[in-house]
Amino acid sequence: MFFDYSAEQQDFAGSLRKLVADRAPLPAVRARLGDAHDPDLWRTVGQEMALLTLAVPERYGGGGFSLEETAIAVAELGRGLAPVPVFEAVLAIEAILRTGTGAQRQELLPSLLSGDRIAVAALSGPDALDPGAGPVTARPAGAGHTLTGSLPHVLRGHVADLFLVPALAADGAGLFAVERTAPGVTVSGPGSSFDLTRPVCAVELDTVPAQRLGDGPGPDLDGLVDVGRTLLAAEMTAAAQACLEASVEYAKRRVQFNRAIGSFQAVKHGCAQLAVEIDAARAASDWAAMLAGAGDPGLRTAALIAKAQAADTFTACAGWNIQVHGGIGFTWEHDAHLYLRRAKADEALFGSTARHRALLATRAGI
Amino acid sequence: MDVSYPQRAERFRADVRAFLAANLPPGWRGLGALAPGERHDFERAWRATLAQNNLLAVSWPAAYGGAGLSAIEQVVRSEEFERAGAPTGTENDGFGIELLGNTLLVAGTQEQKRYFLPRILSGEHVWCQGYSEPDAGSDLAGVRTRAVLDGGEFVINGQKIWTSAGATANWIFVIARTDPGVPKHKGLTFLLVPIGQPGVEVRPIKNAAGYELFCEVFFTDARTPAGHVVGGVNNGWSTAMTLLGFERGAEVTTDPIRYRRDLDRLLELARERGRDTEPGIRDELAWCYARVEIMRYRGYRGLTRFLSGARPGADGAISKLIWSEYFQRYTELAMEILGLDALAPAGPGNGGALKVADAGTENSARCWAEEFLHARAGTIYAGSSQIQRTVIGEQLLGLPREPRLDGGPFRDIGQPAAAPALGG
Repeated sequence: MFFDYSAEQQDFAGSLRKLVADRAPLPAVRARLGDAHDPDLWRTVGQEMALLTLAVPERYGGGGFSLEETAIAVAELGRGLAPVPVFEAVLAIEAILRTGTGAQRQELLPSLLSGDRIAVAALSGPDALDPGAGPVTARPAGAGHTLTGSLPHVLRGHVADLFLVPALAADGAGLFAVERTAPGVTVSGPGSSFDLTRPVCAVELDTVPAQRLGDGPGPDLDGLVDVGRTLLAAEMTAAAQACLEASVEYAKRRVQFNRAIGSFQAVKHGCAQLAVEIDAARAASDWAAMLAGAGDPGLRTAALIAKAQAADTFTACAGWNIQVHGGIGFTWEHDAHLYLRRAKADEALFGSTARHRALLATRAGI
Repeated sequence: MDVSYPQRAERFRADVRAFLAANLPPGWRGLGALAPGERHDFERAWRATLAQNNLLAVSWPAAYGGAGLSAIEQVVRSEEFERAGAPTGTENDGFGIELLGNTLLVAGTQEQKRYFLPRILSGEHVWCQGYSEPDAGSDLAGVRTRAVLDGGEFVINGQKIWTSAGATANWIFVIARTDPGVPKHKGLTFLLVPIGQPGVEVRPIKNAAGYELFCEVFFTDARTPAGHVVGGVNNGWSTAMTLLGFERGAEVTTDPIRYRRDLDRLLELARERGRDTEPGIRDELAWCYARVEIMRYRGYRGLTRFLSGARPGADGAISKLIWSEYFQRYTELAMEILGLDALAPAGPGNGGALKVADAGTENSARCWAEEFLHARAGTIYAGSSQIQRTVIGEQLLGLPREPRLDGGPFRDIGQPAAAPALGG
């Protein structure tokens, strides 16, 4: 009976928090707004720390840990809005592990695990659950396929070397691997991304040669998206904590009416209520990570619960942080809006909170 | 992370299940399915069966009448009983066993343990709690009930209120003021007082749902031996807080079981009335489902920490807020589903259950209407939501306390002559 971080997991989280504090403090994050990519930090987390390999079986060159540890890594980098595509890359690696053939895994994974190449799965929208409704079509071409269609919101698409694209083929839906350099690929952006620390790009595909992952149609994209939700819930919970910590620190220092404003119940109770929601989000995201790590089918509901709870909590914490800071909180120079932007962007990923609850109602048999 | 229970706990679980199968009446659906008349007789007989089978105080040492097992077996017992809809004792046992008994085990003298613990289990002593007063609710340390030593006895005068199950108790544990000349937390004493004496009067209070679940208790020169002090004279605040630390024991894992059972009942109600497919209702039902699951996850976390010996601290405040605020939102949803049927709710009530209805309770409009009313009390008793948020803000987040106006000797608080003592 143990539902908490182990001592080793706590140490791991602590070392990552220190890495982010040293290498990507918020001023460094701000220096890279727009592009939001730090190649040096990426080399560190990929090659030196092997964060991308945690949940990968040892036979594919992985570290033999699990998605529990992956969720901790995503959480700690997300806590600081670190400018590296860890969430995107580990989800793409998970996609290849889940849908690729043995040969595809052998071919694609090594350069992705080391971080030499970056893969991004174009799974951010709710319609990713149903490639049949999605905007990309696959047509047979020789031994493989070509893809045609538009992907308007690919997370950090500007740093991707490989895209994993859900598309509808004549024989059913599938996940396809597309090289960034393949003929017919156009990547625009990042331009006007709302989330300045995790931008999106538009990817246009015009008869692009692509490799289908797996032997046939019908990969378990639901299960993959649930892993994405789980990792995102971990990130949002940690980032919500960062917002509340910033609020609390400020409320202790800021004096009005000759008192620290944190001594006023209006401020104190607002912070306390968010601490309650963070506690709930932490329990839900840890639970989902545990199930994801164990391959437990309960993830079908747990991932939805975790993502919805974490999204509501992160948005509330990011908004409250601006409120507690007053005027300074609503300036460009203050970091509070970076978190609010991340919160709203995360909330929309894989479907809104309302869509999560609707899906939960269905999956839970309500 | 791994939430499987240790093998010995699972072996004990099998024993408890076998006990329940062998001892519950045939066709058992839960306490709520019994007619009001049958219920009292069942509870008496059932408690005696539990006492005979060492199932009342599983984690107490055998020397005091317990089963001599550990905390995890106690939790497993409570889980299996909750799943079966079987009570683990009477409401007074919550005060006698869970709160006072566990407090005596850590803060009582050898004599107190030997004298009181077996009598709690045998049912000879039936306990209730004398904490709140008309002028001391959230500000519990402001109690005014006085206790004065007179020879070998304390003489007690004052009034307690919101005493749950006071009508069925014959003993009460009381926080009383023994020294008004020192700051308010420092002049309190925790006393064990027999109710069956001329100086103690218990009067029931009818609650907003129409049930008599709590009482007022009046003390007029009531007496108790000086040896019935727990934790030392003027050290009662510490004992009182130790006791509150036991307020949420096995509940961390049994609450989600009972909320889930009741949520299934609400789903049934929504389906019966064709409201389950309505998007707004569905969204709320899904939120409720998620909340109960989160309570379950938190239960495993609470259990992990409980078994490691950690004190709940601000964790308890978080749990209290989560269930009580959930309970209100959930019962508001029930009223929404009932619609106009809530205006003249028909059928049997909720039996006066403070939280969700007992297993087996009929899914009637009146039951839901009463559950809705009782949910209003949940955010007040055992520390209001506002008090819980202050605890979280100050103890967990480290936010500064408010300037205090009650720092000096207790007798000077609120006196016009006394200058407000800022800071303190």
